[in-house]
Amino acid sequence: MSDFEPKLVCFSCNFGWGYLTGGNGLNSQIKNWIPVACSGKIDTTHILDAFKAGADGVLILGCPEGDCHFQDGNFEAKKRVYLLHKLLEDYGIEKDRLKIELSVDPEGKRITQVVKEMGESIGKLGPVKKI
Amino acid sequence: MWKTESIGSARVEDAVKQFLPPCQIRCPINEDIQRTNVLISLLPDDPDSAKEGIIQIGDYLYEKNPFFTVCGYICGLCENDCNYTTKGGAIKRRLLKRFLSDTFTPYLVQKKPLDVKKDKGKVAVIGAGPGGLMAAYELSKRGYTVTVFDSSNKLGGAARYIPKYRLPEQVMDAVVDNLVRIAGIDVKLGVKVGEGGLDLQQLRDDGYKAFFVATGTPYARPLTFGTAEVEGQELDGVMYGLTLLWEVNQGNIPADYYKGKKVIVIGGGNVAFDVARTARRLGGDVTIVCLEIMDKASKDAIPADEEELVGAREEGLTIITSRGVRGITKVDGKLKLDCPLCTSVFDERGFNPQIECADCIDLEGDVILPTIGQMTDRDFLQNEALLNEVGRLQADPLTLQSKVEDVFVGGDVRRIGFLADAMGEGVEAAESIDRYLSGIDLKRGRVKECEPYDAPYRRAYRDEPKHKWVPADRRINFDMFEEGFTLEEAIEEGRRCITCGPCISCKACVSVGIQDDLPVVEVNEDLCSGCRMCVYVCNYEAAQVKEVDGKIVSWTDDLKCKSCGMCVAACPSGARQLVGDKTEGRIKEIYAAL
Amino acid sequence: MADKPKVAICWLGSCGGCDEAVVDINEAILDVAGATDIVLWPVAMDFKYHHIEAMEDGEIVLSIINGHVRNSEHEEVAKMLRKKSQLVLAFGACACFGGTPGMANFRTKEDIFNWVYRDAPTVVNPKSNYPQPKSQVSGKELTLPEFYEQVYALNQIIDVDYYLPGCPPPPDLIVNAVTAVLEGKLPPKGSTLAPNKALCDTCPRNKTKPDKIAIKEFKRIHEVEADPDTCFLAQGIICLGPAIRTGCGEACMNINLPCRGCFGPVEGVADSGAKFLSSLASIIDAESEEEVQRAIETVADAAGYAYRFSAPISTLIKKRV
Repeated sequence: MSDFEPKLVCFSCNFGWGYLTGGNGLNSQIKNWIPVACSGKIDTTHILDAFKAGADGVLILGCPEGDCHFQDGNFEAKKRVYLLHKLLEDYGIEKDRLKIELSVDPEGKRITQVVKEMGESIGKLGPVKKI
Repeated sequence: MWKTESIGSARVEDAVKQFLPPCQIRCPINEDIQRTNVLISLLPDDPDSAKEGIIQIGDYLYEKNPFFTVCGYICGLCENDCNYTTKGGAIKRRLLKRFLSDTFTPYLVQKKPLDVKKDKGKVAVIGAGPGGLMAAYELSKRGYTVTVFDSSNKLGGAARYIPKYRLPEQVMDAVVDNLVRIAGIDVKLGVKVGEGGLDLQQLRDDGYKAFFVATGTPYARPLTFGTAEVEGQELDGVMYGLTLLWEVNQGNIPADYYKGKKVIVIGGGNVAFDVARTARRLGGDVTIVCLEIMDKASKDAIPADEEELVGAREEGLTIITSRGVRGITKVDGKLKLDCPLCTSVFDERGFNPQIECADCIDLEGDVILPTIGQMTDRDFLQNEALLNEVGRLQADPLTLQSKVEDVFVGGDVRRIGFLADAMGEGVEAAESIDRYLSGIDLKRGRVKECEPYDAPYRRAYRDEPKHKWVPADRRINFDMFEEGFTLEEAIEEGRRCITCGPCISCKACVSVGIQDDLPVVEVNEDLCSGCRMCVYVCNYEAAQVKEVDGKIVSWTDDLKCKSCGMCVAACPSGARQLVGDKTEGRIKEIYAAL
Repeated sequence: MADKPKVAICWLGSCGGCDEAVVDINEAILDVAGATDIVLWPVAMDFKYHHIEAMEDGEIVLSIINGHVRNSEHEEVAKMLRKKSQLVLAFGACACFGGTPGMANFRTKEDIFNWVYRDAPTVVNPKSNYPQPKSQVSGKELTLPEFYEQVYALNQIIDVDYYLPGCPPPPDLIVNAVTAVLEGKLPPKGSTLAPNKALCDTCPRNKTKPDKIAIKEFKRIHEVEADPDTCFLAQGIICLGPAIRTGCGEACMNINLPCRGCFGPVEGVADSGAKFLSSLASIIDAESEEEVQRAIETVADAAGYAYRFSAPISTLIKKRV
C-alpha cells in the first residue's frame, strides 16, 4: 500500500482558482488538472468517465457559496456531486473519492496543498474498486 | 443614366438596438462599468501585487473618462439605475472608482502624453469646466489643436465649488493638470472671452475653426419673492453661498471664520447643503431654511440627497422647512429674516410657490447665505447672438449646434445637470465639431437606441456594505468624512456586481486570461426534446424554448448567454454543446493517459 | 420463385414479454409469417438449435434476439445466431441495454447465490445446495450452463446491427422494423429503430411544464395521487422522460405512471442514467446544506432510478467480452 500512487483528477473553476498564476502556472503544479470556466459545467458524465478511465479520486474546486461569477454554478455542481455520492455508494465506491471544495484561491497558493491532502486520504483508501 | 449614390443620406446606417446593463445606459460617458467591476473583483489580494492591476484598470477607464478619479468622489449616477438596488442595494460604483483613484491619482503625473499628430486645425473651448475639458480631450485625441479659455485662475469650472470634505483638492488638481499635459491642451486662464475686445469673431480671425461654449452657470441667483428681488441682499453679512464655496476652496477663508456666529443658509438643494456644512466646519451655528418639505415621496420634496440630510443632522445643523424669505433687515446689529409659510412649491405650471403671509416667523442671524440656484452669463451669450427670439439659448439637443453654425454649446450653460452630464455633452460636442469640420452630416447615426437588461436570477442576493463615515464629532474639518474601500472590500464589492449586461460589451474574463474567447452554445434541434431542463438551470434567461411545428424546442439568446456551460451539463439529451470550448478535448487527453 | 427470407426469433435471458410483443402485432403476424420463413422461435415453434447449426453462414437474413446474456448457453446461442445471420436485431430493453435483470450487476454473483439459495426468508435448503455447472445425479453427469459474474447486453457479446428498445417494444415499432428489413429500407448499421429524441418531445404533459421547477423533496408514485395531466417532474415525482428515448407512445403516462426508462438513452448518449442525474440535480431547490441533503435523501435508490433498464451499459459497469 505504501507505494500506491493514487491517480487524482482535479477540476477547478477559473474564476476562483489560480487565475493569477498566469499561463501554465498550475499545469506544472498538479497532474491531471482540468480548468473549467465554471464548476457548474462539470457533468456527471465527466466524473463517471474519470473513474472508468482509472482515476482513484475526483476533486472539484469551485467558488465559495454566494460568490459564483455565474450566480449559482457552484450550487449546481454541489447538488450533482451529492447525488453522485449516492450512486457511487451503490457501486461500492467510497464517497470520499469524489470531493467538492468551495472556496477561493486566485494565486494558486493552496491548490497543491488541497490536492496533496486528497491524494493522501485516497491513498489510505487504496485503489478504486475495479467493477 | 442610372447611377447609385453611397454618400450622404444614401449611406447605410446601423439598424440595431444595443442591449446594455442599465448602469452603462445611465452613465453619460457610457463607461465600461461591468467590465471594470469584474476586473476589480479579480485583483490579487495583496496590495503590492494589486497596484499594477489597478493602474491597468485605471488606464483603461482613462481612455474614455479622464475624470474617473473625480467621479469616484462625487458621481454615482449609475447607482441610481443599478439592478441590485431592489435586491440588497446598488453596487457602490463610486467607492470602487475612489478605490482606484487612491493608487491612480499619484500615478497620473507619470502617465505618458498622447501620441497624436495635431494637424486638423484649431478649435477653441470657452470654459475649462468638466464639459469644456472633456471636449478639449476628445478633440485633442482626434488631432485638433485645442485652446481652452477660462476667466478664473483655475481649471475645473463648477467642480471647484465642491467642498474638500467631498472632493480632496489634490485629486482634482491631479486630474486637470495632467489632462492638459497628456492631451497637449493649450490653456489660457484668467482670460474672459467676451471682455476686453476678445470675442468669438476675434478668435475666428486668429484661425480658430470652431467653438465649444461651456461657460456654465457662474453667477448666483439672487433671492426673489414673487417677481421682485428681496430687499436687503446688499446688507453687510449677506453673501451668496456660491461665493463662500469658491473663496474657501481658494484658501482665502480662515479656519474659524464663523466661530461664535449664527449662520442661516437659504435653499434646499445639494449646493445649499454644501454651503451649510462648509459653514459648520468654519465654526458656525448653522440653520438651513427652505421652501420644500422633508417627505421625499412628495412633489415638494427637499431636493438635497438623503446622504446630505443625514450628514447635516449628524453635524448639528437645524433644518427649517416650508418657509420662504420675504425680506432681510438689520436690527440691533443682527440680520433678521422675514419667513412666511410656504404651503406648496410646485403645481401644474411648475415652480409656483404658494405663500401664506399671515403665518410668518422671524429668523435671526449674523450671516445669511442665499444659495437658491445659479445663472448663466447671459450677456456673453447675447453678444454672440446665441439667444433666440424668446431669449433662450438655442442648441440642437442631439448635435449641440447653436444658432451660429461653428458654435456648439453644452453643459450647465445649456441645461443644468450633474458633472457627468456636462462631460457627456463635451464628448458629444467634440463629435459634432469633428463632423462639422470634416464636412460629414452631423446627425447620421448619432441616436443610439439602448435597452437595459434585467438582473440575472440568483438564489441569494447580498446586501450592500454599510457606509463608513467619520463620527460626527470628529468631522468638523475639511478632511474627507467618508472612508473609502480597502483592497479586500473593493474586491468583494466588485464580486457583488451581477454582470447584467451581455458578454460582448464586457469581456473582462478574456482580458484577464481566464478564457481564450467566449464559446458559443449550440443547440442540436434534431436531439432537443423541449424538456426545458436547460431553461430551469439557466440564471440568465438565455436558454429558452420556442414552438416549431407544434413541438417545443430550446434555443439560446446569444446576447444573454454567458457561456458558462451549465445548460450543456444539465441537458439530458446531450443536445447542447459549447462550440470552441477546449475543455472536452483536454478531458479526453487526460483520461486517455490515466 | 425466390425463397422467402429466413428469420429467427430467439430468447436468451428473457421473461417472455418480448415474444408476447411479437404476437401482439395481431393480424400483422399473418403477413409476417406469410412473407418470411421462420426457422427458430422457441416459445412458439418446434425448431431445435441443431437445425440452425446445420445452416450456412449468413443463410438467415434476420435474427431477432431478445433477452440479456448471463450464462454460457445465452452466449453460445447468441454467437451461433450471429454466425448464421446477415442481420441481428437486439429486440427489447434486455438485449439492447441489459434490461431490469441488469440491476443484478450492483451485486456480486456470490451475494446473489447466497441470498437465493440460502439466506432469503422463504428458502429451505438445509444442505446449502447451490447449482453447479457439473454435478453427478444418479450416476450420470448433469451439466448446467455456467452462470456468469454479471449481466451483459447483447452488443457486449456479439456484433449487433440494429436495436429496438422497449420493455417490450411497442407493436407499431415492431411492424416498422420488420417491414424495413423485408423492403431493404434500413438506416445505417448500428441505428436504433425508434425516434432520436427524448420522451418529452412527444409527451402531452410537456406543454404543462411551469416556468420554473424547484423541488424540495421528491415523492414516489405510490405516495401521492398524481395529477393525470401535469408533468410528473413538476409534481415532484421522478420521471426519466427527459433522458429517455421516445417511441413508446407514452404507454405509462397514459395510465398516470412516470417513465421508468425502458427505451434507453437518446441518440448519441452512451449513459442515460448519468445524464438523468445531472438534470435531476438542476431541479432540486434548497436554501441550506441540510436542505440539499434532505432533498437528495428523498431520491430513494439513485442507482435504481438511473439504471433500472441499463445498468450493464452504464459507464462504470460497461464491458465488452
